[in-house]
Amino acid sequence: MQYTAEFLTKIYRDLYSVRVFEEKQVELYALGKVPGHIHSGIGEEGSCTGVMATRKEGDFVKISHRPVGAGLLAGTPLETMFAELMGRVGGNALGLGGVLHMTSLEKGMVGFSGTLGCDAPVAVGAGLTIQMNGTDNVSYVFYGDGTSNRGPVHEAMNLAAIWKLPVLFVCNNNQYAISTPTSFSSPVPNPGADRAAGYGMPSRVADGTDPLSVYEAAQELVDYIRAGNGPAVLECKMCRMRGHFEGDQQKYRDLSVVEQWKDQDCVAKMEKYLIDNEVLTAEEIAAIRGEVAAKMDAAIALAEQSPEPTPEDLYRNLYAE
Amino acid sequence: MQMTYLQAIGDALKEEMRRDDKILIFGEDVAEFGNIFGVTRGMLEEFGPQRVRNTSISETAIIGAALGAAVTGLRPVAELMYADFTMVAFSELFHCVPKWRFMNGAEYKMPLVVRCAMGSSFGAGSEHSNCVESLFMHSPGMTIICPTTPYDAKGLLKSAIRSDNPILFCEHKQLYQTKGDVPEGDYTIPIGVADIKRPGKDVTVIAVGLMVRRALEAAEMLEKEGISVEVIDPRTLVPFDKETVFNSIRKTHHVVIAEESNKTAGIGAELAAMIQEEMYDELDGPISRVAALDIPMPYNITLEKHVIPDAAKIAQAVRAQVERWK
Repeated sequence: MQYTAEFLTKIYRDLYSVRVFEEKQVELYALGKVPGHIHSGIGEEGSCTGVMATRKEGDFVKISHRPVGAGLLAGTPLETMFAELMGRVGGNALGLGGVLHMTSLEKGMVGFSGTLGCDAPVAVGAGLTIQMNGTDNVSYVFYGDGTSNRGPVHEAMNLAAIWKLPVLFVCNNNQYAISTPTSFSSPVPNPGADRAAGYGMPSRVADGTDPLSVYEAAQELVDYIRAGNGPAVLECKMCRMRGHFEGDQQKYRDLSVVEQWKDQDCVAKMEKYLIDNEVLTAEEIAAIRGEVAAKMDAAIALAEQSPEPTPEDLYRNLYAE
Repeated sequence: MQMTYLQAIGDALKEEMRRDDKILIFGEDVAEFGNIFGVTRGMLEEFGPQRVRNTSISETAIIGAALGAAVTGLRPVAELMYADFTMVAFSELFHCVPKWRFMNGAEYKMPLVVRCAMGSSFGAGSEHSNCVESLFMHSPGMTIICPTTPYDAKGLLKSAIRSDNPILFCEHKQLYQTKGDVPEGDYTIPIGVADIKRPGKDVTVIAVGLMVRRALEAAEMLEKEGISVEVIDPRTLVPFDKETVFNSIRKTHHVVIAEESNKTAGIGAELAAMIQEEMYDELDGPISRVAALDIPMPYNITLEKHVIPDAAKIAQAVRAQVERWK
């Protein structure tokens, strides 16, 4: 496929932004500024970047727990995301939702359930709204190879298919569900794509370390969905580069294999592609990196100025007026 | 005019759907079949297959999809057939639906009603007879409505559909064919307001669901014995109308709570604890609970009747209050 320099630069900027968000998340967590657990998505940014490049105004999206930085691609303000991450009142949920709930309905994010898989049907509901409104929008939902085995995902696929709803199911296959390898948990090699046939859906498998491969496969399926044909499944293959959560010793897997995957790093590969094809120079890439890092740092500084929520804040959002 | 509880619910759905085209209903067998009890009969013909949708047997997807549709601009009324099936979608109903706004932020409104048919119905057995309200009283954010008359059912369902908060609407199967007066035209009943179904002065009976009718029967029996019973139907369990109940207790100083679900950790457990914490000085005796035996619902109808409180059991609890403590 032929791409404009503008498009490729945008892809790179998006990809690198999610990378930096994921790195900053790890840094803030190490500094004790983030409650609970975080699940670093470093190395998995190619999937959301490629898929989200097919979005248009009015589409809905449900991201996964890895990488949560994908929310910035929807347009969620960075300072709101970091405030929510750090449990500050400036977060979208007043710091009461947390790392798995950095969302913005205004930007088309339908919200997030901490029980993975429960929100596959939620994305189907957003698809129902699109169908009732009669537009050609798409509801995107990201989930993992581990979650692909949950009942709600299968029920969601079935309901989306029988109602012919505009839903793109995106399975990020990073080969591990906490400690359990996909080869154990799934009886088929492609836990996303191979299940599509059971629901009469088309599917594609893409290289999740290459946002352009992802984009091309996603675009093909999104065109099919926008034309009113019903849901589809995209599976993106990659490797989870860090532990399930920070502090995970990962004794359950051979880390030399993970080392080998570093050759497939989506950011490094994209930079090489841009330089080899004379889209950007090394200096221009460095400039983009600097801009992204500065934006991220500014957002973190703003978020850190946000106070902690008070006991009064506990009751503010429970009920709508 | 006189109509059945079932007709009142059907009318509320139809009138609301005529008023607002963002409202749609979906669930198992709600379209051509008109729901297994006949509640949604005729709605497919009037509103068409886009707004009256059958689903696959997929309770988790029904609730999850209703949530997703609600936060993105529709006003779905999802149906789960038997209240027992809320358990199939428990994670969605316990974690997601009531807490979504708290977890994700004030932008997220949840104009969502989940209808289900609860309670015993002559031999339906242990997985088609449950009253599940107390389980969801434990999930902050869920509004729980249990209407007991056609008038209440219609007015409360209309309020539920117009609310921007998620609502579990529990209809009692044994009440579907009961009749009552329902005014012509549009009306609503505010959520969170109890109704004194029968005024009295000696003992307050807080009754839920089917037990409201049985408490009223008990009150008739007791009147002949010179005992005056005030029967309160909370109508909404969450939010709970403490004021109406507390005012009654200030008058009677005696409380009996009647419910159809299992006694242990049931509605009565919560209400009794709350009343003794907040109204101890007004009580002249211990609070009595009349509830189902702590046993799965038996299929045998004689034993089903034995397990669930009847008017005689409620009357006996009231009598005991009066004889021992009054």
